[in-house]
Amino acid sequence: MMRKLLTGNGAAAWSARLARADYIPAFPITPQTEIVETLGNWIDNEQLPARMVTLESEHSMITAAGAAAATGVRVFSATSSQGLLYAMEMLYTVAGWRAPFVLVNVSRGLAAPITLEPDHNDIMAARDSGFLQIHCADCQEVLDSVLMAYRLGEDERVRLPVMVNQDGFYLSFTREPVDIPDPGAAARFLPDYDPENIRFRASAPVSQAVAVLGGAPYSYFRYESHLAARQALEVYDEVAADFEAEFGRKREALEAYRTEDAEYLFVQLGSFATKAREAVDRLREAGWAVGLLRPRLFRPLPEEKIRQALAGRKGVAVIDQNLSPGRGGVLHAELASVLFGHADMPSILVSFIGGLGGRDISTEEFFEMARVTRRAVEDGKAPPPRLLYTETELREVRKLQAIANAERADLEKKP
Amino acid sequence: MFGLKADWSLDVQDRYFTIEDYEGAKPRWCTGCGDHGVLTAVHKVCREAQLPPEKIVAVSGIGCSSRLPHYMGTYGFHGLHGRALPFASGVKARRPDLDVWVATGDGDCFSIGGCHWVHALRYNIDMTVLVFDNAVYGLTKKQSSPTSPVGLKTNTHPTGAFLPPLNPLTVTLGVSNVSFVAQVVDWNPLLVYETIKKAHAHRGTSFVRIIQRCPVFVEEVHKDLQNDPSQILLLKHENGIPTNEAVERIYPNQREHDPSDWNAAMEIARNELQVPCGLLYHNPDAPVYDDWSSVGMGMSDEEKIAGINKALDSFSI
Repeated sequence: MMRKLLTGNGAAAWSARLARADYIPAFPITPQTEIVETLGNWIDNEQLPARMVTLESEHSMITAAGAAAATGVRVFSATSSQGLLYAMEMLYTVAGWRAPFVLVNVSRGLAAPITLEPDHNDIMAARDSGFLQIHCADCQEVLDSVLMAYRLGEDERVRLPVMVNQDGFYLSFTREPVDIPDPGAAARFLPDYDPENIRFRASAPVSQAVAVLGGAPYSYFRYESHLAARQALEVYDEVAADFEAEFGRKREALEAYRTEDAEYLFVQLGSFATKAREAVDRLREAGWAVGLLRPRLFRPLPEEKIRQALAGRKGVAVIDQNLSPGRGGVLHAELASVLFGHADMPSILVSFIGGLGGRDISTEEFFEMARVTRRAVEDGKAPPPRLLYTETELREVRKLQAIANAERADLEKKP
Repeated sequence: MFGLKADWSLDVQDRYFTIEDYEGAKPRWCTGCGDHGVLTAVHKVCREAQLPPEKIVAVSGIGCSSRLPHYMGTYGFHGLHGRALPFASGVKARRPDLDVWVATGDGDCFSIGGCHWVHALRYNIDMTVLVFDNAVYGLTKKQSSPTSPVGLKTNTHPTGAFLPPLNPLTVTLGVSNVSFVAQVVDWNPLLVYETIKKAHAHRGTSFVRIIQRCPVFVEEVHKDLQNDPSQILLLKHENGIPTNEAVERIYPNQREHDPSDWNAAMEIARNELQVPCGLLYHNPDAPVYDDWSSVGMGMSDEEKIAGINKALDSFSI
């Protein structure tokens, strides 16, 4: 094992190397590019016996990734934001092929307006594609999760592609100390890909083409993908146990932080949960019984674990770094449906939308969310979803609007 | 007499546009980037044609050059990677009165937007397409692009790109209904201006490949070409891009080329030993898609109803 200062992108590249990915279709996009550049450098310097092909778009990249995986090759790729959405058609298709590979998504907000900074709208857009999803909170987790994702996706009970998500900038460009496992240990945990029934044999050619199907068989195969994704819950726990045995790090499907006696919980995905942890510590010092739940596994959603973790709590603050216009936070809606109809579930689930387009969520805002949630419990009524936005920010935007209005008025005065 | 003159000058002077009217935000391209000169030429062509800024729409995809709409004091659209041409087609479809400019690059146009490139040429919608070709992905900081020369060391190919680069001229000329294909190097301001002026004057899709310097990431790519003007083949013709003595003095290798001669254009485009500068192909009579997409624009509601009734009547027994 070696310990190095790595960015999230560096950790992702190392994970592909340790996983002995054989084929890496690539296309640059900020903030992901460093991953494929690092891999390209290793390949060209003969440190990684893989082939990387720079394709002409993410659409072709995911197509090639799925097709290569269907020939029994271990495939790695990475993208972000618009790239992920450009590949959307193929995300659904390759998941339907049941071709396992790992795609690292470096979360970045979506146009328009154009932004380079992170939020989770890109990965949420891929929620129903059939890809499994693991969300990471730090750079070590990125490396660990990719190795686990191969085990998970390649398991014969699952056979689905997996996305590993890390936040752009906050993780992709932030250096943290990362343990890089020995190649031997990585190979023990993650043996070579055994493609089982998709081996190519010249003597027995088999077409992997997917038929055009109508209602009944179509429904059967789509539902089969759902069942495979559900089976991934059990497989994940096995993989996590093996991972802990090999590397000593616990990577649970649902991470709980100081939840033992907590009356109120924050629920959040991704790297901002590390800020939530800090806020939990400070609130605990102030005498509040507060904790944090962070689903690492988002597809499949570990519903039973979530219910167990939330049973008996007074109130929950759900923080979404995404926005479904006309509805609100995706995680909030998902949690509500997980809890509904079960005994002993918290009745107050307050929705907060924050961290869009790289906007920070300050410690003070976590305090405010805890306060709002506690008051909602006292009132017995959850307030409407709330966008985290400060007065200063609003003033800044108003100033810009005033300049724009002045310029417009000036233009209109011209003949 | 005086009264007449005053009326006449009022008509002319009512709206006179200066370069400032076409300028937008201050360009944030790197120092020494070839894009600056092209932008200046675009501003000048707009002034020369006295185009009302509110009738101009500058459209782009993603990349360094795609920042151009920000630097125009006109309507603009900073699009998505590869999509500059469909955006432009959408703008033009039912607003043929607008003057549409497209800024795209070797990544945006030849790679992720490759499909649109081929079809936009065939549609031949009236717009001016400027492809800023620096042979590298610059905005994401130096990865190989479809036009990266063999051996170019980039961050995706540290020991050098190995595939032969795509030849945008032969591809463009190969598309049916292509109507205007020109090439220019960014470092000759007069040629850039004259090329863009000619492109803008053409009715149809004017494709201008601009060989553009990126001194920050791949200075070496065009250094030879800059230092040795004999590598350039200057195309001359009365129907081509106007040149002058100064330009002709710089480029010793010249060829008289009739831009209506497609076969000769293809032969010039295929010769990779020399870099042609000028108008390779021009067909002012190629069908323009605007003529179909704008059908019925001036029709009143009554005329539309009459048209529908006439169509329905054709089914009566």
